Formats: sequence, structure tokens, C-alpha cells
Amino acid sequence: MAAVYKTLSSSSNGDKVPAGEKKIRQRVLMLSSRGTTYRHRHLLQDLYSLMPHSRKEAKFDSKSKLHQLNELAELYNCNNVLFFEARKGQDLYAWMSKAPNGPTVKFHLQNLHTMEELNFIGNCLKGSRPLLSFDAAFEKQAHLRVIKELFTQIFGVPKTARKVKPFVDHVMGFTIADGKIWIRVYQISETEPGKKKTANGEEADAEPVPTPKKSKGKPEFDVSLVEIGPRFVLTPIVIQEASFGGPIIYENKEFVSPNQIRSDLRRGKAGKYNRRTEETMEAKIRRGDLGLNSHGGRKNEKDPLSDKVLFA
Amino acid sequence: MAKSKLLSALDNEKGRNFKLEKQRKQEKEARKRKAKHISAEDGNDGEEDDGVSLAEEVEAAVNGQAKKEKKKDKKKGLKPAPAPAVEEPEWETDESDEEIDSEDELDDDDDIPDRAALDLSRLEDSDSEGMFDSDEEEEGEEDDDEEEDPEAEDDIPLSDIESLASEDKGDIIPHQRLTINNTAALTAALNRISLPYSKLAFSEYQSITTDEPVDIPDVEDDLNRELAFYKQSLSAVKEARQQLKKEGVPWSRPVDYFAEMVKSDEHMGKIKAKLVDDAAGKKASAEARKQRDLKKFGKQVQVAKLQERAKEKRDTLEKISLLKRKRQGADVTTTNEEDLFDVELDKAEKPTKDQRGPKPKSAGASSGGTGRRSSMGGSGKRKASSGDRDGGDDDGKPNFKRQKKDSKYGFGGKKRHAKSNDAISSADGRGFSAKKMKAGGAHKRLGKDRRAKRN
Repeated sequence: MAAVYKTLSSSSNGDKVPAGEKKIRQRVLMLSSRGTTYRHRHLLQDLYSLMPHSRKEAKFDSKSKLHQLNELAELYNCNNVLFFEARKGQDLYAWMSKAPNGPTVKFHLQNLHTMEELNFIGNCLKGSRPLLSFDAAFEKQAHLRVIKELFTQIFGVPKTARKVKPFVDHVMGFTIADGKIWIRVYQISETEPGKKKTANGEEADAEPVPTPKKSKGKPEFDVSLVEIGPRFVLTPIVIQEASFGGPIIYENKEFVSPNQIRSDLRRGKAGKYNRRTEETMEAKIRRGDLGLNSHGGRKNEKDPLSDKVLFA
Repeated sequence: MAKSKLLSALDNEKGRNFKLEKQRKQEKEARKRKAKHISAEDGNDGEEDDGVSLAEEVEAAVNGQAKKEKKKDKKKGLKPAPAPAVEEPEWETDESDEEIDSEDELDDDDDIPDRAALDLSRLEDSDSEGMFDSDEEEEGEEDDDEEEDPEAEDDIPLSDIESLASEDKGDIIPHQRLTINNTAALTAALNRISLPYSKLAFSEYQSITTDEPVDIPDVEDDLNRELAFYKQSLSAVKEARQQLKKEGVPWSRPVDYFAEMVKSDEHMGKIKAKLVDDAAGKKASAEARKQRDLKKFGKQVQVAKLQERAKEKRDTLEKISLLKRKRQGADVTTTNEEDLFDVELDKAEKPTKDQRGPKPKSAGASSGGTGRRSSMGGSGKRKASSGDRDGGDDDGKPNFKRQKKDSKYGFGGKKRHAKSNDAISSADGRGFSAKKMKAGGAHKRLGKDRRAKRN
């Protein structure tokens, strides 16, 4: 069906595309390391279904030799790599790279909610091209500009991708808040203003706003968004100049690794015990100094005028 | 350099004074120069041209502090120190900058006695070299200090923090790593990979950046945060739609275009089932709450009704007893209402009296159906007429004590069959209704719940 439509539409407005223009070619190799949980796997599945230009690969069985991913990408003709690295069966790191020459960005992925567990009623065509919506803060700093470019190339589906479908029915939002990048996916739902369908149960707070439609006297539509999922938050950690290697050209100072956080928590708990024991020891010593202990400590000096001394 | 060892030995012999004098002289010169030019040279540079140039080179290589730059510019028309190529203060090169700055400061701060002592120590070397070397040595010492200082200010070592209690270190962010932000390299990388957006049609990349950064005051506030995300995407959709329409790219899916979706029908079915479940659950809980409230309210109503009934009963009984007393005694109350009520009752009672009048006394006693009160009345009269045994009044009533006792224990007559029908009661057809005799004629009494609800 899609193929039929494509041929038809290309025959109808194929003359618009200049012949000399070079095609943008993006292919994303998408894979994870070993030791992912089911949620990580589902996220990978969700992203794969949203990105028709991606190639899913079997789990990669190494965490130290990531440069091998370049060869893998070359093998599959991919010029982007999206690699999920799970650590300790709980933390997920996302690597995004332009395959042969870099740069590579490493993110820490948090607040992960997959499509399956979110139960959003939004839905979109498998293989339609997304709109990418970026926060203006992406333009403010050099490393964010690099990240934005990577997002545009990895998540943006090229027009000529093989399994692509011709309509625009979902939008991906990238927003920077609190030093992290928040990612949301919405369906674009258009309703005629007459019969307003309240399909957006999740987004009840946002009322659809009418937008004038310009083309050939068609009725105006209300545009509203319905979230599809998944949701996740990325914290940039490191940018490397080459692909999975090379000098580090950016490092996030404020990133605290989850291991550090966990150990701090544990240490905090342990510290409570240590403090308490210390206090009891101090109290004991104080009492000893005052001569209140029966064993040890300092003995009270004998009063030279006490009865025991005087009438011994 | 030019000085031979002999000369230097001579100097040594004459010693310090000569040197000091020379330096003083030079210093004076320097001051004069300083007066001439607004900016000035310190004493240390004046000694040899060599040294001066070297120091200047150092200075020129460095972007010094503001006063330094000013000095340099005025002094020798050197081109101003290169503006810091760095935007961010946390650059790798910053440290080296600081080092050199510190060197410069050192140059300024050098005192004469210090230098003299140093010169003495290295008499074999030429003065200029000696000077420079000594400076460098000092700089080296200072460098070490300087390198540590800024870090000590900014970053607290992790080991220090670990020893703190968890409550204390709440606000401290441990900076154990060196921040790297190589803007030049980042820009280069960006240029390397970026698509030629200016040449491309919008439909090729479909990416939109907002005009204003999205402002989220509190990330923990879920509703507002999500609303901000939603607004950002919505504005992008509107803008993109116009651009894509302009380029003639298909936008919305026709109704008859069916294709595989991201979420399968099965998944959507699950979502729908969940929505229905949720809605049903909400409805059911609302219903249950309403029922609970109603029940509570119904109970109150019922209690109120029972109280009302009890009050009614009490009132009627009171009235009746009042009537009784009035009939026995004279006028207890003189309100109009009561009078009216009494009159009516009297009228109603008279015919029964008349009926009973001709009857024998035994019949009057046996007729329980007409009412206990009337029979009591009759018996009382009879008692009074039969004999004034209890010391009654003239009008034929028994005395007060007897009355009380009679009312308490009852008086005379047979108590059995008092409620059984007799001829009169069975002939009385007032309560009869043919409707009630039919099978489902009289409507049934409703259940308790519904009665409670109706009232």
C-alpha cells in the first residue's frame, strides 16, 4: 500500500525534486549491550518501531571494546550508531555516534517509561517521518549544538528511507530542563472544529487550538497532540571527537554517576551508626573523667578531711 | 656576557654597594621614565635589554590582567595581548594563563634586597642571565602554589566530603573531575557532520527549534513541565505544517489509508480495555460513595421520624390525660382551644352514655369494647353511689388516695376478655373495607429501605 502510494505521489509531484540534489542518507545501527532489563529492551523496541531507517542488531558482547561498533556499522552500511549500554542490570547509558569519524556522545538515560507501560492512547503510522521539535536552549552552547545535530540525524527519518510512509503524524520533542534532555513523542491529531472529539484523555489540560489551513478551501482543523510514548531523560556525560574513541572534547562536570549516588546513600546510612557509636564512646569517656564509672576512668581523689581519713 | 671573571671578582670585592648603587641609579631612571610615560617599568626590567625583551615576550604571549595590558600598550606600542580565545572560564588553558599571570605579578613585586642576594649567589653568570634565571626559579616555586590554589577554592576533594556527615554534605556538589569543554573542537565536529540546512528543503530534515527557550521553573512539577513540553511540540507542529504545505508535502493521513501502526491493534485494545476499566472503576466508586452517603442520611431521617412519632404519641397521651383530669376535676385549663376540644369530645361521648343509660350495670361493666375509659367512669360512679366507703366527696367521687390506687392497680371487675369482641364491637363495621379483602387489593407495605428512602 505504501509502495503504491509512493509511486503514485512520486509520479504526481516528482518533478519538484531537482535531479542534481544529493540524497541525505541516514541509517542507524541500533543495539544494546548484554545485561539489559526488559524495560531497556522494550525501549529499544519502541525506538526501532519509530525509526524506519534503523537496523536492529544482536546484543553486543563487550563493554570495553566499543570501537568494534564502527566495524559493525560499516558492515551494515550504517552511518549512525545508537548503542545502549546497561550496567549492573539497572543503569542505562546511551551512546550516539556518527559512525566512521565521530563525534560520539554518551548519555545517562533515566526516567525511562516504555510505550507498553504508559498506556497512552496516541498512535502513529509505523514508518512515518517525525517532526523534530527542539528547545531554543540547544543553540546556546557548543556541545548542545553537536547533540542537536546528532539527534536530527539519528531520530529524523530521511525522506528516502526504505520503509518510510508519506505522512507526518507524529512529533518528537527535545527539551532541556535542569541540565537534562527530556524526550517526548506525540501524535498529531487533527479534528474538525465542528465535531470536537475529546480523544486526548491524557492531555485534558491542553485544549486544541485552531490553526488556519491554507490549502484550497479545505475546512480548518484543530490540531492537538496526543502522547504516544516512550518517555525518557538523557543527561549528556561525555563527547568524544571520534566514533567510540578519540580525545574527549566535552565532559559534564555536574554529572554524578548513579554508583556515586548509591554509595553516598549507603555511606550515609553507615555514617549514622558510626556517629552513634562515637557518641556513646565519648559519653563513656566523659563519665570516666568525672569519676562516675565503677570500672576504669579517673578515680576521685580522696578528701583529706573526710571521716574515713580522719578517724581511720 | 661582556663581563669577564676578573671584573666580576672585582665587583665581588667591592661588593654589594656597587651593585646596589647601580640598581638604585637605574631605578631612579626608571622612575623618571615612569613620570614621562604614564605607564612605567619596574626596576627589574631596567637592567639589561635582553631581560626586558624576554619579559616582554612572556607578557606578550600572555593575556595579562587589565593593568598589565594597559602598561604594555603604552610602553612600546606592542600589539595588544590577544583577546582571550576562550569563552568559558573553565578551560584547560586557564591554568597556564593564571600561572603566567602570577609570574608577571611576581616581576612587579620583586624587591631590591632580594635580587641583590640572588645576584650575589650567582656571580659567575652574567647579570642578565642570572636575573632571568632567578626570576624563573621563583616563578617555578610560585607556579606550584598557584596550580593548587584555584582548585582548592572551587573543588572540594572527594575524600573530604566522604568524611562529612550525610546531612552536612547536602548542598555540596563534589567536583572530582576536570571539566572539559573544548568549544573549538566541538564546533569543528559540528561543522564536520552538520547537514547543509540552507540548501535543503524543510521537508528533508523536518526539524524546528523554538524561538524562545522553554522555561520550566520547577522540574518536579509534573503537570506544568509536561504542559511546557506539549506547548513546545504544538508550536513546532503549527509552524512545520505551514512550511510543509508550502512545499506541497502530504501532511495528514487520508481516512482510507490503512497501514501498520506503531502500536498494534492488540496493544491499542489493551489500552482501551484499561481506559474502560478505569472509567468503570471511577463510576463504581462514585456510586458506592453516593450509596454510603444516602444510607447515612436515610438513617438520620428514620431516627427523626421515630422521634417525631414518639412525640406525637406523647402529646396525644398528654391531651387525653388532661381530658381525664378535666372530666374528673373541675377546670384545669381554661384555654380556648382545650375547651373546643372538650366540647367535641363531650358531644361524641354523650350518645354512648345515653345508649348505656338504660342498660343494667352489669352490661356496662362487661362492655369492654366501647373503651376502658367509659367503663371506668361508670364503675367510678357506681362505686360512689353504692356507698361512701372510701370517704369520697359529696359529688360521688372517691377520695384522692383511692383514685390513685385505682389508677395504679385497676379496680374491680374481670380483667379477662377485656379485648375480645362482644356484640357491639363485632357489629361495628367502620374499619371494614371490601378493597382490603381482595387478594392484592391493599398495596403492600414497602420494604424498610424503600420506606426510608421515600420519607
